[in-house]
Amino acid sequence: MATTLQKYLKQSATYKVFSQFLVVFADFLDTLGKIAQMGVHVVKAIFKREIDGKELLAQCDRFGVSSLPITLSIVGMTSIIVASQVAHEMVKQGGGNFVGMLMTILIVREVGAIMSGFAITSMIGSSLASELATMRVTEQVDAIDVLGVDSVSYLFVPRVLSGMIMMPFVVILASVVGVLLGAVTSDMFAGLTYRAYFDSAGLGLYMKDLGVCLLKAASFGATISLISCTCGFYASGGAKGVGLATTKAVVWSFIAIVVLDMVFAVLFFF
Amino acid sequence: MSIEVRNLIKKFDERTVINDISFKVADGEVLAIVGFSGSGKSTVLKLICGLIPFDSGEILTSEGDIAMVFQYSALFDSLTVADNISFALRERKDLRKKYTKDEIKKIVSQKLELVGLKGIENKFPSELSGGMQKRVSFARAIVTKPNTILYDEPTAGLDPMSSTLIEDYIVSLKREINAASIVVTHQMSTITRTADRVIMLYDGKIVFEGTPTELLKQDNPYTKQFVTASLEGPMQMQG
Repeated sequence: MATTLQKYLKQSATYKVFSQFLVVFADFLDTLGKIAQMGVHVVKAIFKREIDGKELLAQCDRFGVSSLPITLSIVGMTSIIVASQVAHEMVKQGGGNFVGMLMTILIVREVGAIMSGFAITSMIGSSLASELATMRVTEQVDAIDVLGVDSVSYLFVPRVLSGMIMMPFVVILASVVGVLLGAVTSDMFAGLTYRAYFDSAGLGLYMKDLGVCLLKAASFGATISLISCTCGFYASGGAKGVGLATTKAVVWSFIAIVVLDMVFAVLFFF
Repeated sequence: MSIEVRNLIKKFDERTVINDISFKVADGEVLAIVGFSGSGKSTVLKLICGLIPFDSGEILTSEGDIAMVFQYSALFDSLTVADNISFALRERKDLRKKYTKDEIKKIVSQKLELVGLKGIENKFPSELSGGMQKRVSFARAIVTKPNTILYDEPTAGLDPMSSTLIEDYIVSLKREINAASIVVTHQMSTITRTADRVIMLYDGKIVFEGTPTELLKQDNPYTKQFVTASLEGPMQMQG
């Protein structure tokens, strides 16, 4: 009787949904734990100065320079979209003198960092995850450990540090491009003069905004690298495992960026 | 004693892959671990070099380095041959300040010469054949002068001549550095040409221990099935 009931329950949709949810939740906690563990390891290694300067430079070049075209394009195009939507309406409502202020606040506080984060995740994060995942499934990570080198310090430290160092530069450049393209778009779509745009551009902007923007950018950079490296590092099972690790890295990085952005908004602007 | 394994047990989830095995390997001795695929041979190597933790038992090794030659070479594909070989000398905490750049260059050349691959320092692993990659991984493994060398299927996937070359290197390395070596393989030529002793694993347990000559005598139903590659016998293929 009990066995029949158990069998019946196991076939029910509620049981299947609930058990699937538990599996997903367990995987979520497992990934979170691994990211935290790797984060602690990286911080310890940085304090112990276990940093390979040559590798750090190579990773900085990869993170900052090679990602610039796509990052500038995405932030620039987002600024064009926003300016084309709001400039005309604001000029029509008599708020033309504040278009520059609105665009600058929006780009410096949010769009610059968050859109750069998404661009970097899709370009650099995915490449970091697939690189480490491939190294894992081809036993290269095992080879590092067998040779007596700490694989986490060797692989993670330069990548996480490069993210932390380069992301603020990328975000500053992207924000400048965004503000400039906002001016061009406002001129083209709403006939707003460059002078009117730039006169108000600095009005709502304070040093705090710049500081928070840089801090946010650095934390986004470090987080994207840490999550991507962790997902790649724990990959298993050949080509499919590499694909799964890359997808996981991108999804987790996107979610982490949004959550971190929310934390920054609550901490500094609430 | 260079390696001593005592009552080693390893489980993956509920499945026992290594079930209470014990053996010893002396300095300058080559032990071959044989068995069908999935019998736990490679797991034993990974347990010995600490890549995976074991559930119970003991692994005792002499002071010094343990090196491993991986089945698919596991060369770092973004580094040149020279950087691959010198990796431990450049990156290991206790070694990185011990050698100058010129000394490292000299050591790399010496190791490459030892495995018969002079002048390929600046090539990348993708530019080398499978046999050459395997020889570079030999050079990388012995660069720290280990006293224990583990070989995971060193001749798998190689042509007969490359296999012979690799087997000769295993024997010459044994003489050269007097290391205790374990060779995981299921190739008869590798067993007969390199090993001093053989153990056979099946279902996580040792089912035969003896010399290569004793293995070939087929006195034991397990060795008989292994040597004749028969499907009939006490060992059933997994999966």
